[in-house]
Amino acid sequence: MRFIGYLFFYFIAVIPAVAQTQAYRAPRLSGHPDLNGIWQAMNTANWDLLDHPAQPGPFSQTGAIGAVPAGQSVVEGGEIPYKPEALKKRQENFAKRMTEDPEAKCYMPGIPRATYMPYPFQIVQSQRDILFVYEYATANRLVNMGPAQKAGSDTWMGTSNGRWEGETLVVDVTGLNGLAWFDRAGNWATDRLHVVERYTRTSPDHLQYEATIEDPAVFTRPWKISMTLYRKVEKNAQLLEFKCVPFAEELLYGQFKKKD
Amino acid sequence: MKTLPRFIILVIAAIVAFAPLVIDGQTKSTPKAWTPPKTPWGDPDIQGLWPGQDMVGTPLERDRSLGTRAFLTDEEFANKVKFSEEQNEIDTAEYVNRNPRIARGGRFVTCEEDPNLCRNGVRIGPPNYWDERGKPTKQASLVMDPPDGRLPPLTPEAQKIQADRAAARRARACATAPGGCHDTWEDESLWDRCITRGLVGSVLPNGYNTGNQIVQSPGYVVFRNEMIHEARVIPVDGRPHSNANIRTWMGESRGHWEGNTLVVETSNFLPGIPVANTPTSDALRVVERFTPTDADTLSYQLTVEDMKTWTKPWTVSFPLKRSKDYAVYEYACHEGNYYMYNALSGARSEEKKK
Repeated sequence: MRFIGYLFFYFIAVIPAVAQTQAYRAPRLSGHPDLNGIWQAMNTANWDLLDHPAQPGPFSQTGAIGAVPAGQSVVEGGEIPYKPEALKKRQENFAKRMTEDPEAKCYMPGIPRATYMPYPFQIVQSQRDILFVYEYATANRLVNMGPAQKAGSDTWMGTSNGRWEGETLVVDVTGLNGLAWFDRAGNWATDRLHVVERYTRTSPDHLQYEATIEDPAVFTRPWKISMTLYRKVEKNAQLLEFKCVPFAEELLYGQFKKKD
Repeated sequence: MKTLPRFIILVIAAIVAFAPLVIDGQTKSTPKAWTPPKTPWGDPDIQGLWPGQDMVGTPLERDRSLGTRAFLTDEEFANKVKFSEEQNEIDTAEYVNRNPRIARGGRFVTCEEDPNLCRNGVRIGPPNYWDERGKPTKQASLVMDPPDGRLPPLTPEAQKIQADRAAARRARACATAPGGCHDTWEDESLWDRCITRGLVGSVLPNGYNTGNQIVQSPGYVVFRNEMIHEARVIPVDGRPHSNANIRTWMGESRGHWEGNTLVVETSNFLPGIPVANTPTSDALRVVERFTPTDADTLSYQLTVEDMKTWTKPWTVSFPLKRSKDYAVYEYACHEGNYYMYNALSGARSEEKKK
């Protein structure tokens, strides 16, 4: 019976799952999957990578507008393997998130957070390199598809080297400065962060995103997030401009403003 | 077509190829006929690194003494080369220079000659080696139209706005403070606030961060500027502008190909963005033309139209040279903006002393 059970499981569950994710062959650009498009996550990872119930936002003044929508974990296994002292830092971050979340200050989002900010981004794939342009804060990064280059210096958006593995664009990101957070819940890493991203088209309008996250200073082992990205299919879809510096100046410099 | 003699085909081809030159003749540029490679999807391929650093030493406006002469004589050019060599000597000298020579108005001055440039005998501002100097060129100004290489006069409306602003500035209590007004962040420039240099400022050659990069995908050209990490996504698929209610710092760009020339028209700007130190209006419209003239040269032309600000359009034009190894670094300007803290907290601290 157990054998038949496996067989049943295989035909009913595994094959269709494989068929959905693996069998789709994306249109080609110079022989590689064409990932061009405007994409956006439709989840709450930017609030918290982990499972979280709905909750009030940090400011009562904005009522329910600033509240946090409930969301399911995008972290495989539902847990981030923090070292004990690093977990403490996450809790401190959460407590100070109104002023210390880099998003509040309009700082660049870093990788992987740029991918699942509640703003679209555009993949501009040429026959050679690939440019990622994010609407949030006009952040952008070039993915070098030539021979891998070492990070010249640590930066917010890191140094990205890409390669194709069949249907998947694999982007190896190093040189991250460790100042960006993963989300508004204060999940964090240091400048030893190493992110390996995988982008795979699973249908004309879906892009599967996975990122393996490593930082021996903060985590006991590498861990992985995964989520679906959705194409903006509107005929007039375009990246607009979200230059948020002016929105953060009162928060950043308000204490130094001349009092009347 | 098979029945047409080859000669006639060649004549037609020549007319087609040179027709853009006739049109361009009116806008002061004469790109040579050169056919760039095509992208796999059939657009002219102008991708690559196109830093503007070579042109850093070329002033925006032409020296009045040159009149309508757009290019230097051999002798004038030789002087410029000499000046540039001297500058290079100064730049590469050991720093901590107690008696610096500072380039001003085409010559070198000392702290004694212009005390405003120095404090306690040391130059105010970044060290010399910090700045890109560019290569000496014969082009006498970036502005190539009007023919005298000078910006056209401001409209009466714009003059009044300028005068009113200046009067308002003078009327403020901080106007006489040694460092000027730093009451709030809004007293600082958009550039100092790390918001943007605007479309024009992002591409005009400047003392640092002159990197430009073009990446193309089917239906798009992206013009990426190192200065404050701009990436202007330009659709080239013929779509119309969106509603002018959506105004932006960098404007909304629409492009199309005219032969091998990429023509980009940008509007929907927020009012007040400074262009050549003059705040522009909501009527600002910028037209850019990118023409590859050989494998390593992109003729770049930018026309500013703002009939509420200048009495007629004006055009800058200069070549962008391909670089194989220019490294575009991330300019995290806002993230590292300690200037804002220093300027504002410094001003508050000065007030307390009184």
